[in-house]
Amino acid sequence: MSRFTLDQEIRLVQDEILLLGSLVEQAILNSVDALQRRDATAAQRVYENDRKINAKHHAIENHILITFATQSPLASDLRFLAAMLEVNTELERIGDYAKGISKVAIHLADSDYAIPIREIQQMADLATSMLHRSLGAFVAGDTVAAHSIPEEDNQVDELYESIYRKIVEGMIKNPDTIDLGNQVIWVIHNLERTADRVTNICERVVFIVSGESVEFDVSDDEQLDQD
Amino acid sequence: MKPRFHLRILWPFILILVASLAALALLFPLVHGSIFQQAVETGEEVNFVPIFTLVFLIVAIGLLVGLLINIYYTNQHLNVLEDLTDAAKELGEGKFTEIEIPKNVGDLPEIQELAEALQKTALQTEEQFNALTKERAMLSAVLDHMTDGVLIADDSGSVQLLNTAAERLFKVENEQAIGRSVVEVMRHYSLVELWEKTKNGNPETINMELGSAHKYLQVVGISLEKDLPGRTMLLFQDLTQTHQLEIVRRDFVSNISHELRTPIAGLKAISETLLDGALDDPPAARKFLVHMDNEVDNLTQMVNELLELSRIEAGRSNFEFQRVEPCQLLNTAFDRMILQAEKAGVTLMQDCPAGLPQVYADPVRISQVFVNLIHNAIKFTPNGGHIRLTVWRDDKQVVFMVKDDGVGVAKKDLKRIFERFYKADRARSGGGTGLGLSICKHIVEAHGGQIWVESEGNSGSQFFFTVPATAGGNIG
Repeated sequence: MSRFTLDQEIRLVQDEILLLGSLVEQAILNSVDALQRRDATAAQRVYENDRKINAKHHAIENHILITFATQSPLASDLRFLAAMLEVNTELERIGDYAKGISKVAIHLADSDYAIPIREIQQMADLATSMLHRSLGAFVAGDTVAAHSIPEEDNQVDELYESIYRKIVEGMIKNPDTIDLGNQVIWVIHNLERTADRVTNICERVVFIVSGESVEFDVSDDEQLDQD
Repeated sequence: MKPRFHLRILWPFILILVASLAALALLFPLVHGSIFQQAVETGEEVNFVPIFTLVFLIVAIGLLVGLLINIYYTNQHLNVLEDLTDAAKELGEGKFTEIEIPKNVGDLPEIQELAEALQKTALQTEEQFNALTKERAMLSAVLDHMTDGVLIADDSGSVQLLNTAAERLFKVENEQAIGRSVVEVMRHYSLVELWEKTKNGNPETINMELGSAHKYLQVVGISLEKDLPGRTMLLFQDLTQTHQLEIVRRDFVSNISHELRTPIAGLKAISETLLDGALDDPPAARKFLVHMDNEVDNLTQMVNELLELSRIEAGRSNFEFQRVEPCQLLNTAFDRMILQAEKAGVTLMQDCPAGLPQVYADPVRISQVFVNLIHNAIKFTPNGGHIRLTVWRDDKQVVFMVKDDGVGVAKKDLKRIFERFYKADRARSGGGTGLGLSICKHIVEAHGGQIWVESEGNSGSQFFFTVPATAGGNIG
């Protein structure tokens, strides 16, 4: 006899996913903040916290698999749990992006290189806001939000283009900054990928509610990326 | 319940008894007389049947009347009791205003008393209910209007109460949030951790930043164990503004220290060089002292701006308004800055038409504004450039313009350039606190005017500010 009913288990897993989401959101925001303040210590903290994120990811995976094995969920419950497995993975990947940003922040902490930080901050705020809302839509089964959030990906892409151009111009003018500029490009690349993963999460929402597998329009970079 | 007997209910029976006896007394002799008379006349035995019939009839009538009276009164009382029972039921259901206590409760004083007692209970309950409703409304009003967020959860983590401020903070609605888990509502691991710690007997206060909106909160965990067992309360105080000010202050102090270091380092280098022997070389010494003088000027400007800022913040800056000629203001500024402009290789021009009305202004402050604007123009205009000062009348205002053909202001900076500490082109603005333009804004607005900038790409900028014209007085 299992201690909790299937519904209770699903609720528990859901809460765990939301907590992981919060950890990941905060990691992205903290890493960009450390970049802005050139704070290597704060960046180091984000880097090390990735362990916590991975541990939680692992625990959730276990929990879901055990629920599958012991409760034999069916139909929409089955879809929901399966979708949560995927969301779990997307979140862990985003956590890795935050770790990547924090690494750059550590490298750039001592340099004078002018980072277009305001736009990068905008990108980070937008991506984390999208993530926050997509998880809310996931829990609520809100397909309306699941369709509208991916459209904000265009804004993220625009910011990416704008920042990319600025950095490349700077690199052309001053070849000494190529290495540092490259690292900042890695940061915005990570933020752009975060937004793409949010789109994936939104696709899963539609799947849970309707059983349909949809693909939302993603940016061109997707086709060239092997992430 | 003690068995009691109310004697007065016997009155119908006594009445009937008396009436029966009276009837008997009246009719018996007649019947008696007539039966004996009949016996004498017929010679038969005395027939006692009529007497029996009489008694039987009287008893029967008496019983019947008694029964009818009984039925009537019992029915009356049952009616009244029914009405009172209905009223009591309504009281039980809380319908205080719709109770009907029957006015006519018959002749039994007991029922009268019951009715009165019921009436009193109804009134009292209504009063208590109203008092409680008012108190509840007051508490609701407090919860809904307070700026701090309040959340109460039970020990399984299910949200029991969420006030308006908390709804706004977490972007949820009360109806949706009640009964959901704290994780679902608050969506933040630090807050969930705080709830857990408080629930387990270790209440804390934490400071944290919430989400991509970067709200800075102080969150207090409070255990309600004493009054509401198992429940925990979280109080959210929004300190975003205070935190922002703190950051601005911190940046300002660090900025100032940084800016002060340069002129001070310069002064130190020069004084060391002089002491090391440059004093013995008068022309060289003179050059160095000129440098020193310049650096001291820079320092002085910085300190003055700092003082100005603190005065502005304390609301203590005093203005001395007087009627002034706009052209006078222009001329003064021109004379002050012409040397500096020449030194920078920039041509300074002025253009003041006749017939302008006087303005109410503090000439010293307006001069400050001009100096600042012209100084900026010089900084951002390369050698060979031009700066033009003009003034004209626009309805009830007098408009002053400082126009340069320098590098201009970038579009993204146009809106923010008057902000405190905002520096548009760091490379060119060099020293300085970034306060100049915000001080100008303060001065102009204190005059009741406006200040703004227009700039097209690389073709220079035009800074405008207005001062209200006085009613009459078109002199010159």
